[in-house]
Amino acid sequence: MFRLIFQRLLALVPLLFIVSVLTFSFTSLLPSDPVDLILGDTGTDEQHEMLRERMGLNEPIYLRYLQWLGRAVQGDLGNSFFNSVSVMDAVMQRLPVTLSLTAISALIAIVVGISAGVVAALRPRSWVDRLATLGATFGQAIPNFWFGLILVAIFAVNLRWFPATGFTPITNAPWEWLRSSILPSIALGTASSAAIARQVRSAMVGVLQQDYIRAARAQGLSARRVLFKHALTNAMVPVVAVLSFQITVLLGGALIVEQVFAINGLGTLAIAAVRQQDIPMLQGLVLVMVGLVVIVQLATDIIYGLLNPKARPT
Amino acid sequence: MTIPASENSRTVLIRLPKPSASGMITAVAVFILLLLGFMAIFADVISPYDPLRQNLINALQGPSAEHWLGTDDLGRDVLSRLIYGCRIAVIASAEATTIAVLLGVPIGLFIGYRGGWWDWVVMRIVEAIVSVPGIMVAIVIIAILGTGLHRAMIALGILFSTSFLRLARGVVLAEREEVYVRSARVIGTSDRRILLRHILPNIAPPLIVQVTLTVGAVLLSEAGLSFIGLGVQPPDASWGTMLNTAAAFMQLAWFLSIPPGVAIILTVLSVNLLGDVLRDSIGRGIAGDAPQPASAVRVNLPAATAAPEPTAVSRPDDVLRIEGLDVALGGDTGVPIITDLSFGIARGETLGLVGESGSGKTMTGLAILGLMGPALRATKGSIVLNGKDLTSMRQNEIEKVRGNAVAMVFQDPTTSLNPAFTVGSQIAELLRTRKGLSSKDAWKRTVELIDRVGIPRAAERAKAYPHELSGGMAQRIAIARALSCNPSLLIADEPTTALDVTVQQEILDLFRDLQEEYGMAILFVTHDLAVAADICDRIAVMYAGEMVEMAEVNALFAKPRHPYTRGLLHAMPHASDREPPLPTIRGSVPRPGNWPQGCRFSNRCDYKTSACETRIPLVGTSRRVRCIRADELNLGRRP
Ligand code: SF4
Repeated sequence: MFRLIFQRLLALVPLLFIVSVLTFSFTSLLPSDPVDLILGDTGTDEQHEMLRERMGLNEPIYLRYLQWLGRAVQGDLGNSFFNSVSVMDAVMQRLPVTLSLTAISALIAIVVGISAGVVAALRPRSWVDRLATLGATFGQAIPNFWFGLILVAIFAVNLRWFPATGFTPITNAPWEWLRSSILPSIALGTASSAAIARQVRSAMVGVLQQDYIRAARAQGLSARRVLFKHALTNAMVPVVAVLSFQITVLLGGALIVEQVFAINGLGTLAIAAVRQQDIPMLQGLVLVMVGLVVIVQLATDIIYGLLNPKARPT
Repeated sequence: MTIPASENSRTVLIRLPKPSASGMITAVAVFILLLLGFMAIFADVISPYDPLRQNLINALQGPSAEHWLGTDDLGRDVLSRLIYGCRIAVIASAEATTIAVLLGVPIGLFIGYRGGWWDWVVMRIVEAIVSVPGIMVAIVIIAILGTGLHRAMIALGILFSTSFLRLARGVVLAEREEVYVRSARVIGTSDRRILLRHILPNIAPPLIVQVTLTVGAVLLSEAGLSFIGLGVQPPDASWGTMLNTAAAFMQLAWFLSIPPGVAIILTVLSVNLLGDVLRDSIGRGIAGDAPQPASAVRVNLPAATAAPEPTAVSRPDDVLRIEGLDVALGGDTGVPIITDLSFGIARGETLGLVGESGSGKTMTGLAILGLMGPALRATKGSIVLNGKDLTSMRQNEIEKVRGNAVAMVFQDPTTSLNPAFTVGSQIAELLRTRKGLSSKDAWKRTVELIDRVGIPRAAERAKAYPHELSGGMAQRIAIARALSCNPSLLIADEPTTALDVTVQQEILDLFRDLQEEYGMAILFVTHDLAVAADICDRIAVMYAGEMVEMAEVNALFAKPRHPYTRGLLHAMPHASDREPPLPTIRGSVPRPGNWPQGCRFSNRCDYKTSACETRIPLVGTSRRVRCIRADELNLGRRP
């Protein structure tokens, strides 16, 4: 198991390197000149030149990359061009918000997706199956932000069960935190639960036809035990393989759904950064998101190895 | 024009496409997309108002006669904006998808063809891009290019090109393998031409499917980007910008969010459904539904001519006693699978159940276990195991019988063991749940059992996963598992068929050995008479769901009485032969539902007479045969 983790970690090094090169070079393509952004139309040519020198913009690009990377590794992602706050601070302040939504919606997607998929697989072509398939088809066609709007209209504006906007940090009031995250998380998680349900169903239908399921039943194990231990363990293998992709999608979706609920998370930060051409902020956001995705990938790889002995290094 | 006469006895069956539900849905999806295209093209003509004309006095009105879908915050007509939104949706998906294809496919083809360093670098870049949430990639590209419909679509095009790139690369790699395998000599230019000729037809089907998937994703992403203000810019009407407006007025006029939302959902739904249909029809490796036995033709069994005969002498030491068993697909009036089956197996005895595939022998084994699947049911007769009738038992009662009183060993050991757990844990699990052993005792007993079935270093092997064991070793484990609860009946379904010839003999010896020690009865299902001759005391020959002959093993080999048995014996290779069995019986076993009316073997039998067209009873006591001419025919083994 340790060998598996080590192997996975090692594979991440080239990935992170390429992401950092891409992030740095792409954001250097931004049309705007950071010096203009900071000084605006004011300032003399000498001032411009001085700032350019001080920011190291006259250095060759590979040197600037190395300096940037060196600082980034130490957790210093530079300062925002716009209001000169530390990028790391700004991102870390918003991160728990986006992370809450992503985590809760992932939980919803996994629980709903697996249960619906299993129920549908157990009775192929029954009404349960048809309903689940129909739900999955719709779930994948509904824009998450539109679903969010509808949820607000019903559960926040009309029924007043949940707040329509805003977010309460978990450290302030755990109950309010849950209340404020639940609608956005449902809006976000529906499409993923639909996708997972489809995968679980097809994996489960395949597994239930396997000899080892019949063999387990033939040895007298109860239907429930065979289903939940023997079949589900195997059916989860292909599902876990694409789970990190689903969570990446959720993280991206959170950026948009946040806007529906006027939640001040990474999405708001990113949109503002685009509008203000804030290069360090965009760089920082991409790096932090890749970091999150990489952690999720590592976790799912390990679960995959646990579920599927064939995937373990020998 | 000639029309086949309807009274013709060979009526031509014309299968009209049934208006199935899925066909209807596809038609609706196509209709919606056509409607979308129509509105996009003729938006100027159709829309009742200018989508940009403001009328602040009439702002935020609900649906009315003048404004069918109401007005927005600036008094603009929602219906008109929705119709113009169709145009933007079409432009957006066409633009982004085209860019994605034009960018992704050539690069994918190139790196797939060139391979090596190029391939490595590009694939790492693709990996890097897909490890960032797609919307964030689009946001960064928009930051470089700027906002607006076309720029946002370039961003999405770049984003979605990665999937086309991977698809094209995959096709090239697969085809390249093919081409190299088939053409022994590899010459530069002609090789390249061959490759191209192979790639083009092979890339088209997955490409079409990927395009539909991408169109759906583009529509959703465009709406999302416009919604957060990075795509289409106001005042232009796109469904995303309309939702952006609606979001600001949810408390005042929630209805504003409905028309654009429904438009997006219907469009994406239609595109996705069409993609599913395309994938099912042109995609490769579609897992088809399990073939259903032909249910149209029902065999009407002549009633009562074959009442359960009292021929089966009940022996006092029988562990298993099957009497007049009928199994049918879909209940009493369904298609019969097994009919009128009776036999018994005594303690310490091995009965061989022999026949070609499709004869119903495996189904007999599963019927005893009550594991025939939901569609199949025992409709008549009894299966008495240790004095208890299994056919009348409830699910949870029969669950207690399985494993304890009867256990089964399957054909392919590598698939009958669960790949996710160690082999030892699969045996120990039974000992814990069925015998109530503690974890420690269960493991100890497991290692003993594994040792007993002749596996060296048992304690170590118990911790192995099935894929780490050879076929023979895995079958020994499966046997150990079946024995774990001391069953009085062991069903072995072709347990040596999947194994090497040398291993086969070892496994047969193991069965004999274990039977001597534990004294269980064995029902040995096989298509291989040589194997049956080796291990069985008696042999029952099955054909098309019924028993056609049963005899003590030497008697059967010395003097088969049924033409089918004789055919099987003839097809047996000589002991030294390595050739495949000689196909001396022409044709194959008819499938359930297509059995001949009289003797079910009649369409393959060389001795058929008119008398064979009635139902043939099974006659005899210790030796039983189901052939009307059994007494007159003299079927020596090798005439
Ligand atoms: S009953 Fe007739 S058709 Fe059937 S096996 Fe005997 S001879 Fe052949």
